[in-house]
Amino acid sequence: MEPLVSTLFGPMSSFPSRRVPSQPSGDPTVATFLTWFVPGAGHLYIGRAGFGLLAFVIVEGLFLLGLRLSDGMGFEFLQEELRGLLAPALAPELGNLGGLIYQIRSFGFGPGFPRPYPDTVILGSMLTAVSGVLNICLMCHVHFEARLSKGVSSGMKSPALPVLLTWLVPGLGHIFQGRRLRGVLIFVCLVGLLILGSMLADSSNLSRERHYYYWGGQLMGGLPAIGLQWLWGSKQVTQAIPYAEAGLVIASVAGLLNILVMLDVFGWSERAWFGEDEASPSEGDGEATSPKSVEASA
Amino acid sequence: MNDIWTHLALFLALSAVIVLMSAFFSESSDRAALKSFPRRLFVFIVGCGILTGVLLFFEHTLASVA
Repeated sequence: MEPLVSTLFGPMSSFPSRRVPSQPSGDPTVATFLTWFVPGAGHLYIGRAGFGLLAFVIVEGLFLLGLRLSDGMGFEFLQEELRGLLAPALAPELGNLGGLIYQIRSFGFGPGFPRPYPDTVILGSMLTAVSGVLNICLMCHVHFEARLSKGVSSGMKSPALPVLLTWLVPGLGHIFQGRRLRGVLIFVCLVGLLILGSMLADSSNLSRERHYYYWGGQLMGGLPAIGLQWLWGSKQVTQAIPYAEAGLVIASVAGLLNILVMLDVFGWSERAWFGEDEASPSEGDGEATSPKSVEASA
Repeated sequence: MNDIWTHLALFLALSAVIVLMSAFFSESSDRAALKSFPRRLFVFIVGCGILTGVLLFFEHTLASVA
């Protein structure tokens, strides 16, 4: 029954379990793994069929639309020497494991010779990647919901919501939690790094075809990264770019740091729900909206 | 080495953000996180300096083409 962040990072985030309900909806680990394979399956397992069905339609709908728009050529961006069984495992699509396996089995790395991409390949591969990130948020949601009593829902106070908001706009999850100073600093730092990196690389970093794995890191920067790609991503490289590699690394690190920020908002909400005193925002910005207990929302 | 100062400035900028994010992750209080920031940044930079020294030593000793 250990919380997710505690499981991942050990004693630093050890939470008391005094407010954990005696009859949880299900095993959070099972629910999370089910969702990883099939979006919504974990919710079905804990008795939230309606939510699960809606989540399945949205996540798999985005994935299938992405496959359609890209003709399943997303993994053909990978250079020959990088292609292998586990090569796509570092892509954001990994968040939707069932979809990833389907794509690998159905399309793989293509016929083995270069062929033209469809005009919509960039949008298509973006959508398959976004569906993976959304499914990660869904996994956060079901992992938390499974620990609540049957019939109890965290609703808008689910830790998954600030996680999703943080992915969309770095720092927004903290602001949603009432931790404004932290949220603003995170936004300035991470979005600043994304912009700095893109400027240094003269926007050459914003192409998934050119930098498959680094692009995956950048995508974790959410809408700012997507917006930068939309604004500058189609620029042609016509000359040597002195700081291309530095910019690429900086922008990618900015996105990866946002994963740490997502873990922070999830852990904070989790601690607030389950009653750890340290999680209360007494020394932060003061006005955090902290859920008092599971039972209070019932 | 022509633009060493630019590289150092970029390194410092990136280091500051990495350290600030790790401080936020480790400390639930903003005040504690910001207070620990200078010490954490110092340790991070010294650690990177040591790692750079080790890498340069091995490069010079084992991989030099001079």
